[in-house]
Amino acid sequence: MENVIEVKNLTKEYKSLKAIDELSFSVQKGEILGLLGPNGSGKSTTINCILSLLNFQKGSIQIFGKEMKPDAYDIKRSLGVVFQDVAVLEELTVYENIDYFCGLYIEEQETREKYIKEALKLVGLEEFQKFYPKQLSGGLLRRLNIACGVSHKPKLIFLDEPTVAVDPQSRNNILDGIKELRNQGATIVYTTHYMEEVELLCDRVIILDKGHILASGTCDELKLLAHIEEKITVEGIQLEENQMQKLEKLKNVEDMLYSNDTLVMTYQKGKNNLVDFIEYLKKEKIRYSKIYSERPTLNDVFLELTGKELRD
Amino acid sequence: MLEHNFDYTIKALFRDKMLIFWTFAFPLILGTFFHLAFSNIEKNEQLDTINIAVVQNENYKNSVMFKKAIPALSDKKNKEHLFNTKYVTKEKAEALLEEEKIVGYFILEESPKVVVKKTGIEETILKQVVEEISTKEKTLNIVAEVTLQQHGIDETKRDIVYLDSWISATYQNILEEWEKKPTIQDISSPNLSYTMIEFYTLIAMTCLYGGVLGTVAINRNLANMSSNGKRVAVSPTSKMKLVFSSALAAYVTQLIGVLLLFLYTIFILKVDYGDDLSHIVMLAMAGCLAGLSLGIAIATLLKASDNTKMGVIISVTMLGCFFSGMMGITMKYVIDKSMPIINRINPANMITDGFYALYYYDTLDRFNTNMMSLLIFSAIMIAISIFSLRRQKYDSI
Repeated sequence: MENVIEVKNLTKEYKSLKAIDELSFSVQKGEILGLLGPNGSGKSTTINCILSLLNFQKGSIQIFGKEMKPDAYDIKRSLGVVFQDVAVLEELTVYENIDYFCGLYIEEQETREKYIKEALKLVGLEEFQKFYPKQLSGGLLRRLNIACGVSHKPKLIFLDEPTVAVDPQSRNNILDGIKELRNQGATIVYTTHYMEEVELLCDRVIILDKGHILASGTCDELKLLAHIEEKITVEGIQLEENQMQKLEKLKNVEDMLYSNDTLVMTYQKGKNNLVDFIEYLKKEKIRYSKIYSERPTLNDVFLELTGKELRD
Repeated sequence: MLEHNFDYTIKALFRDKMLIFWTFAFPLILGTFFHLAFSNIEKNEQLDTINIAVVQNENYKNSVMFKKAIPALSDKKNKEHLFNTKYVTKEKAEALLEEEKIVGYFILEESPKVVVKKTGIEETILKQVVEEISTKEKTLNIVAEVTLQQHGIDETKRDIVYLDSWISATYQNILEEWEKKPTIQDISSPNLSYTMIEFYTLIAMTCLYGGVLGTVAINRNLANMSSNGKRVAVSPTSKMKLVFSSALAAYVTQLIGVLLLFLYTIFILKVDYGDDLSHIVMLAMAGCLAGLSLGIAIATLLKASDNTKMGVIISVTMLGCFFSGMMGITMKYVIDKSMPIINRINPANMITDGFYALYYYDTLDRFNTNMMSLLIFSAIMIAISIFSLRRQKYDSI
């Protein structure tokens, strides 16, 4: 598979702080690569280095097989970027904003008009094209931010936490839009600290922390790193000390956490754990309001690798 | 691409209400305020016409110079005529002076004599005028005598007809000068016009407010200053091209603002900037360039929000205008005398002084000096900006 981005030994330091430390990875054509990590893990810095916005001390970056530089306009022509901060002009309407940024890539007005219509449709802003940014809600503004970054139909798109602080409706719309962009053939680098989005969208994931790669692979490959098979959560349960001691000794139980009338049991392996556990509770006459079983998440992987949660 | 960025920058600048207020509306409001506040003061400070009398004796009737000069200075068709003159007998003049209907009278006896009752500015002016006319007459007589001697025409060989015509022609030239431009003028106006000083500094302020437009327009293209700048920086368009077209849009917008100010002050407030329109336009254009380049330099060097940068530019501009006389002409004199370097590098003073030079001087030397100073100031600011803009990658954004 052809590599669209090739990053080798990238190191970026801010005075004494190493924001990125010997980072190496590649992005393949047509895939959605997720850069997952908590705030301050180096996701945005990595993107800004790749885009030649930031100086870096060491390493090399190639895009489409060529070295990326500030004046590499032939590469830049095929890039689309959606930054974390909303970057639109307050004095221009939704339509004019998209036209302005699209016009930095495409001179021909007819083509631009066609692309703008498609971008408006992609993010669901057709009805708002005459609105000014200050008239839009936070979610709609984020959608405009995306439209401004992708309207020129780039081959490689960087999306830096595009769903921060948006309502569920807008989030769904944005995620659908990103899938649509991939279906149209774009390669996407997607940074977020929302593991659900990564699991939903990304073909491959790199987990970053403190400028290092902790792990990389597909979601399923990463979950194998969690060393747990199943997680059973019981809500509305009240347990005595002796009951808890008995629970810990049940077959296949790896770990147990009880607080605020909620019990979380983790199992390293085994089948029919949920059925067995429900029967045990019935036999012991322990009452509860809700019980459910989950597969391990990327957050569990992150927790296992770093000892902290993704959103810490 | 340049046209695309220029069009949208113009559109965005004209829709920014804060910018429009500072660059378009604020100067008009301030101009109206100056007009209301200072035009009355100026009227009160103008010198009134002086009531005098002239004794019409034989000597006066035979004096070509006095007979021409006094009526010329009393001609009511001239807006700035100095005297309101009555031609009377000596007795009548004495009576008018006693009744204080005149400040003094002039009588030509063996030598010119001015009779006044009190001492004061008006009495002094009357004496000075009579003295000057008398000096000119004496000078003319001496010149005539010397010229005759130089031509070797002694008294016995003089052609009376020739001499009469020569002396008459010389007298006539001087008298015509008197009629055109009396050498005694009311110097309280327009030379020390408060209103004009205020309007010059107002134009200077408006030109320099171009810096606000420049800052806002340029900030949008700098990755280390704004989110828009980051987006623009990753586009396949050169930063210098974008900065140039944005600066051009800001310059055009500012010129429109200055044009509006000129139209408003000339046609609504009836301000007279003089006749030299081409030089006035040149000075305004150079002033706007200085303001714009100052704004671009601040935009590229100062890492702060749009509002902070606007605040800095407005403060610098107002301080410059203050030093060049906006809040009182005394400040300009104080700075010129005690710290001349400040006004030499103060673009507001360069613009204001350029207008003074156009209005009050017949030659363009001082105007040219100010124009050159503005262009040099702009060139230095642009050079600093280009040096800063050359950087394409940043340590942090």
